[in-house]
Amino acid sequence: MHHAQIDRISYQDSPIHRLDGRIKLACVLIFSVFVISLPATSVSILACYAIWPFAVLVVAGVPISFVLKHILIVSPFIAVLALSSLLYDKAPVIATFGPWRWETTAGVLRCFSICGKFIITMTALVGLVATTRFSDLLAAMAKLGVPHLLVVQLGFLYRYIFMLIDRGYHVLRARAGRKFRNLGFADELKTTAAIAGSIFIGSIDLAGRVNMAMQGRGFDGRFHRLTEMRIAGADYLFAATLTLYLVALQFLGRVF
Amino acid sequence: MRTRLGRSGFYAGLVKLIVFIRAASERSLKMHMANELLSVPVAIGTLGTAAAGLGLICHKAKSLITSDRFALMGIMGAFVFAAQMVNFQLPLMPGTSGHMVGAVLLAIILGPYAGAIAISSVVIIQCLVFQDGGLLALGCNIINMALVPTFVGYWMYRLFVNAQPSQWRLYLGSIIACVVAILAGAVLVPIEAAVSGVLRVPFYTFLITMVGVHIVIGIVEGLITAAVLVYLRQVRPDIIAECVVNSVRFSKGVLYMTLITAAIIVGAGLSHLASSLPDGLEWSYAERPDEPDFEPIISNESHAVAAVEDFQSRYSALPDYTIRAGAFGQSAPVETVEAGAGWQSFAAVFGSGATMGLIWLGAWALRKKNGGQNAPRSN
Repeated sequence: MHHAQIDRISYQDSPIHRLDGRIKLACVLIFSVFVISLPATSVSILACYAIWPFAVLVVAGVPISFVLKHILIVSPFIAVLALSSLLYDKAPVIATFGPWRWETTAGVLRCFSICGKFIITMTALVGLVATTRFSDLLAAMAKLGVPHLLVVQLGFLYRYIFMLIDRGYHVLRARAGRKFRNLGFADELKTTAAIAGSIFIGSIDLAGRVNMAMQGRGFDGRFHRLTEMRIAGADYLFAATLTLYLVALQFLGRVF
Repeated sequence: MRTRLGRSGFYAGLVKLIVFIRAASERSLKMHMANELLSVPVAIGTLGTAAAGLGLICHKAKSLITSDRFALMGIMGAFVFAAQMVNFQLPLMPGTSGHMVGAVLLAIILGPYAGAIAISSVVIIQCLVFQDGGLLALGCNIINMALVPTFVGYWMYRLFVNAQPSQWRLYLGSIIACVVAILAGAVLVPIEAAVSGVLRVPFYTFLITMVGVHIVIGIVEGLITAAVLVYLRQVRPDIIAECVVNSVRFSKGVLYMTLITAAIIVGAGLSHLASSLPDGLEWSYAERPDEPDFEPIISNESHAVAAVEDFQSRYSALPDYTIRAGAFGQSAPVETVEAGAGWQSFAAVFGSGATMGLIWLGAWALRKKNGGQNAPRSN
């Protein structure tokens, strides 16, 4: 399942994996700000911005096909909106690319720009999640001042999502094995409500058992870590490289 | 034999494609905002608002939520993922299936504070683990899909449903609560996009599409929520009874005042957007080759936004189309700038491609030297 795949990748070892979660989180945020602040019709500069997340993924040893597949799955909403700009923005512009130049509309450039920015920021985000264990990410968030209640909540959620999704699959398979036709709206609704309700009751019971077991082992509402989080030389180097890279891209834009 | 194999491979591919398209079309109905539809001020503003809101809720909920309720809230959040999988055939719309989202259900059962925290964490996990919506759009998504629907839904439900509701009252209350809650969140999406000004879809077209789609989604959500509540009342009446006891008290006067204020704010905002949008934002970025002296209009009156826009347009790297004479204070002849711009964009794309190729080759060579895959870390 997805969970196993992304956990397997985030448990690998590489210079990127060893970086502090806080630095990576902050870098992705800043990088995304720079990418989305590009004008809505600039396209070719996006190729330069793509170098960074690509380099991070390659150094971390994350398969590029895995990343692209994920981006493809989440793309429909943005693709519809990007394509709609073809219809609504018909200002004529002249695009030049190397020796070629052609007349087109601003909507085409806008569409390419939105798709390009989407791919780049999503690659950066996948790069973050695929190179940081979720527990490390949570610890980073806690250190950055995210409320304790929310961090604990996220920890529990991540622990139990995949269990309950599997449970959902079992129940759906059971329904498919017993229901051979469309039952009509009222009965379909009743069945669905019963399924959702039984998963709900199952979850509440599970929560009760988990809570008792955890209280029995002395859980006081805090997660403890074996390792201490420390920002080391490599983290500073990573942040400095990103800063240099972004400054260089700005400089490139000013000179031209 | 060979053709058979080829054909079965083709069919397998076709089935995969259909499964992918179905999954994609179901996802496209969700209203996850993306980074690219937002401008930086809007993204940072909404992130700040969401963080402040969540911080306030967590602070308020501290006394309500003790450590023995942590597991319950976490697992209830996970339930949302399982509930989203349980889909069923919609009438009148062959090929489409509905499923529940569960924000209002959780708000009703856990109370608005715990519900808002649980659904916010669901949205954060959707962003981080499943990549639904970007990191910068997280603020928007938390506001649109977690904070607004849980609180609005909870209040609307409490307005209509008392401690011992009849079945039709429960159905009516749930449907109204879900429709209003989901619409309140969905309406924010086009507003945020319009204020950002990245998208060129007319505001009203986007708004009407979102409202139309989400009324249907809200009705389906309301029906399932009510059916689940009825089921729970039959099977585990203690859960329903507990949720009434645990609920946060509020006075109806405060609620009415809040609703009226919200209506006035929304109405004022909409009329403002409507007056400024159709022509105002039309040319905020674009340049026109047919009119070299064309001055882009920045329609937003706010000086801060205008300054940021100006900053963006001045420091944006490689604007790659049209005449940009005098753009950075240079007064180069039009022709040379135009010809140069084409080669610049060419250089940018191919230079980046070559760099990425070099990086990949370097990493490949290094990995080969070190012998194979990255091993898992020991600690």
